[in-house]
Amino acid sequence: MKKVTKGFAPLVALALVAAACGGDDAADEPADAPAAADEPADEPAAADEPADEPADEPADEPADAPAGEPAELLFDYGVSDDTIRVGMNADLSGPFASLVSQIVEGQEVYWEMVNEMGGVAGREVELVILDNAYDVPTHLANYEEMRVEDESGVVFFTESTGSPHTAATVDMLSEDNLLAIPLTWYSGWADPDLGANVVEINATYCIESMNGVEYLADTFDAETIAIVSLAGEYGQDGAQGAKLAAEALGLEIVYDGEGAIAGGDQTPIVTELVAAQPDIVWMTTTPTTFAEIFGGSVAQGLQAQWSGNSPTYSYLLLNTALADALSAYYTFSTYTALWGANDSEGMNLVISEMQKRRPDAIFSDNYIRGFLEAMTAHQILMAAADAGDITRAGILAAFQSAEIDFKGLAPNQTWSGDPNDYIVRETYLYDVDASIFTPDATVSDADGSTGNVLAAGPYAGTAAQAFTYEGPCFVAG
Amino acid sequence: MFRRPNLYTSYEAETQVLPTFTKKIITVLAIVALFLMPFDFPIISGPTELPILRSIPLIGDGLPFFRFLGDASWLRYMSDAMIVVIAALGLNILTGMAGQVSLGHAFFLGVGAYTGAFLGGHATDSVYGHGLPMWIWLPGAGVGAALVGIIVSPVAVRLRGLYLAIVTLGLVFLGIHMGNTDWGRKFAGDPSLGRSFPEMDVRVWKEETPLVSISEKGSWFGVEMSSNQKEFLFVAAVMLVFIFFAVNIKRTRTGRALQAIRDRDIAAEVMGVAEFKYKLVAFATSSFFAGVAGALYASHIGKMPAAQFNLILSIEFIAILLIGGAGTVAGTIMGSFFVILLPQLVKDFSDWLSERAEGEGIVASVSELILSGNQGDFGPISTATQTPNYPLSIYDLNIVLYGVLIIVFLIFEPLGLYGIWVKVRNYWKRWPFSY
Repeated sequence: MKKVTKGFAPLVALALVAAACGGDDAADEPADAPAAADEPADEPAAADEPADEPADEPADEPADAPAGEPAELLFDYGVSDDTIRVGMNADLSGPFASLVSQIVEGQEVYWEMVNEMGGVAGREVELVILDNAYDVPTHLANYEEMRVEDESGVVFFTESTGSPHTAATVDMLSEDNLLAIPLTWYSGWADPDLGANVVEINATYCIESMNGVEYLADTFDAETIAIVSLAGEYGQDGAQGAKLAAEALGLEIVYDGEGAIAGGDQTPIVTELVAAQPDIVWMTTTPTTFAEIFGGSVAQGLQAQWSGNSPTYSYLLLNTALADALSAYYTFSTYTALWGANDSEGMNLVISEMQKRRPDAIFSDNYIRGFLEAMTAHQILMAAADAGDITRAGILAAFQSAEIDFKGLAPNQTWSGDPNDYIVRETYLYDVDASIFTPDATVSDADGSTGNVLAAGPYAGTAAQAFTYEGPCFVAG
Repeated sequence: MFRRPNLYTSYEAETQVLPTFTKKIITVLAIVALFLMPFDFPIISGPTELPILRSIPLIGDGLPFFRFLGDASWLRYMSDAMIVVIAALGLNILTGMAGQVSLGHAFFLGVGAYTGAFLGGHATDSVYGHGLPMWIWLPGAGVGAALVGIIVSPVAVRLRGLYLAIVTLGLVFLGIHMGNTDWGRKFAGDPSLGRSFPEMDVRVWKEETPLVSISEKGSWFGVEMSSNQKEFLFVAAVMLVFIFFAVNIKRTRTGRALQAIRDRDIAAEVMGVAEFKYKLVAFATSSFFAGVAGALYASHIGKMPAAQFNLILSIEFIAILLIGGAGTVAGTIMGSFFVILLPQLVKDFSDWLSERAEGEGIVASVSELILSGNQGDFGPISTATQTPNYPLSIYDLNIVLYGVLIIVFLIFEPLGLYGIWVKVRNYWKRWPFSY
C-alpha cells in the first residue's frame, strides 16, 4: 500500500547520501547565535532590525510576555493555558525519512529557540510529531488522532508529508478548520478548490519552470526547446510551466515529452532529443532518470543547455562521470536560497541556531526548508495571537491575511486576496561548477562546496511576472 | 448444554453455521463487542485506569497493546482491517477454497474502487462520475469487478498453479498501466494525487442531504459520533454480511464443488463437477468480494492514486491467507487483523519501550536490548530517524517481519493462526484430560 511520489526521490537520494557520507563540519561558533536570545517574547533575530516591517510583525505586544496575564485570548482545541500543540504528520520511517526527519529537526530547533524566548502568547509551543511512514492509511489514522476536538488535539499542522497523503485529508482539513503545510510545490494547492487550507510555501513547479526556461533562453540566446517530464501532478505541472514560458517567449518546442518518462528504458527519449537538436532542454523528473537521459544525450553529441525543476537534480551527480558535462550544460533551479548562499538575516539564523543547538548534525539544505515551515507557522500563530484568537478558525483567518517574512531565505509570502496577487513568482538559479565540488560536502560552507553557485535569485522572469493564475497549470484529478 | 465434543447426530447439525452452543455465545459476544468498540466506555478505553491494574508494575503505566480500545487512530486501522477482511474472504474463496492461486487480487479491488467511483463519484473536468447513491455504487462495484473476473476466469481453466499466478500477476501491472493512460485517468485521476471517491452516505437518489449521513459527524440514536465511528459501524455491518455469506458458501453444493476442484481437478470433473462453470463462479464471487472491498476502501481513504492497488497489496492478501490459514473463514479474519494491525502494534510497542528506555528495571533493559536510539547501540530497531541500513527503521522492520512470518508459518504452522487456535481449542476442549 505504499506509494512513492517521484518528485521526492531526488531529495531522498540526496539526503540518504548526505546522511551516509557527511562529515562533522559543525563549526563551534556559538558567538554567531542570534542576539535575540535575551529578549523574551520577541520575533527571533529581530534584534538587529527591531522595526523591520512593523505591520506584519506584531510580535512585541506586551500581552505576549510570559509573565503578563493572557488578556482575552480565544482558544479551542489543542491549546491549554500553558501550551499550544502544533502537529506534524511526517514520514519518519518511510522512504523519505532522511529528508523529512531533517526538516522536522529544523522545525524542532526553531521552536526550541522560540520557546526559550517565551513562546507564543505566553504559552510553550509543543510539537506533536507522528510518523506516517509515507502510507496513506497511516497518515489518515494519525490525522484522526490529532484532529480530536479537545486539549489533546492540535491547532494546525506544520508538516504534512506527501502529495497523495495531503490530498486525502483536504476535505477533513476544511471540516475541522485546520491548516496544513505540505511538502510539495504543485500549482493546484494555490487553487482554493483543492487546497483552501493548505499552506503552500514558495513558488510552484509551474512558475519555477517558467523562470528556468526564461533564464536559460536569455542567458544562452536560445530559439528552440525540448520538454521532458514524468506523468502526473509533479512532472506535468513542471512541463506545463515550461510550455507557457516557451509560448510567451516565442521559443519553438521541437520535442514535447510531457509525461513521456515511464518505465525503465529512457533510450527512446534520448533518440528523440538528439534528433530534435534543441537549444535548451527542460526536465521535470528525478535525478536517476535525469542522469540517464542527460548522459545519453550528451554522449550522442547533443549540445544543449539543460535545467529542470528542483527535484530533478542532486549535487551528488557530481560524484559521477557526468560531472564535467553538468558543469558545462546544467543550471540548477530551486525555490529557496541554499545553505550559506547569501548573507541574509534568515540564513545567519539557520546556520547559527543549527550550530548552537545541533552541533553534531550533518547540515543540509533541508534544515532551511524546516526553518521556512516553522517561520510560516510561527508568524501565522503570532498574527492569530495578536488578533486575540488562536482557535483553529482564528488561525485560519490569520493565515488568510498573514504576510510571512522569510528574512532572505526565500521570497516573502502571503495568501490574502486573489491567487494572482500572492503567488510567488521568484525562484533561484545556480550554476553548477564541478571544479569547486568537494565530494563529502553536504552544504556549501567554509569546509567544502556542493558545486552550486548562485547565478540569479530571487529571479522572476517576464513570463512568470505576466502569468495570470486561473487555476492549476496542470489539472490533476 | 455441555455435550461431547465432535459428536453430531445428523448431517444438518454438523453443517450448521454455528454448530455448538459455545460458538453461538462467542459469536454473539464478539458481535456485541465489535459494535461497542468505537465508543468511549471507561472500562473499555482505559482498562489501565482501573486501580487494580494500576497497581501491577508493568501494566500499571499502560501496556502498549491496550491503547487501541476507544482510540481514534486505532479505530481507523480497525476499519481498514475490516475492509481487508471482506477482500481476503474473497481471495479465500478463490485460493483457499477452489485452490486457484491469484496474485491479481489488488487488481480486482482497483476495478471495484473505480467502478464505484465511476458510478458514485462526482464528475470534474478531468474525471468521470455519476453521483449515484451508495445502494447502487457499492453493489455496482462488486458486479463490475465480478464481470471482469468472469472475463479472466477462462484462463484459469487452461492454466494451473504457478502459471495462473503469473497470469494474474500480470493483471496488476495491466491495471496500473491502464490507470496511467489518458483513458484510465478519466476514471483514476492524477497518477500521484488520485481522485475523490464517493462518500458512504445513504441516499434514495441524488438528493443533496443524505437520509443517513455516515461520512459526516453527527448523532445516531441520540449518541454524538464522529465520522470515524460511524464508518466503523457501517463497515462492521457490511463485513458481517460478507462473513455470513462466506461461511455459508462452504456449506453449499458450490462450496463442495470448489473444494473438490482444489483437491484434484481431474477427479472432480470425473465425478461430474463442471470445472469451467465452478472456476468461473469462484472468480466471479471472489472478484465481487474484492470489488465491494475496493470501493469501501477507496471511500474510506477518500482520495488516492491508482498505484495504491499494486503488487504489494496483492502479496499482502496472500500473506493474510497464509498467516491466517488458507481455506478457513476464521483464519482469514484472524489473518486480516493480524497483518493490518501488526505494523501498528510494532510501532506502539517500540514507542512504549523507548519511552521507558531511560531508567531502571526489566523494561529498560529489554528496551536497551531491542531498540537503538543512537549510533552504535546494540538493538536491531532504530528509534533514531536517519538509518539507511542497520539498525532497521520501524518501516523496514515491518517489511522484514512480513517475510519472516510467511516463512515461519509455512514451515511450522501451515494451518496458520487458525491452526494455532484449533490446537489451543482442542487442548481446552478435553481439559483436564488433554493429552
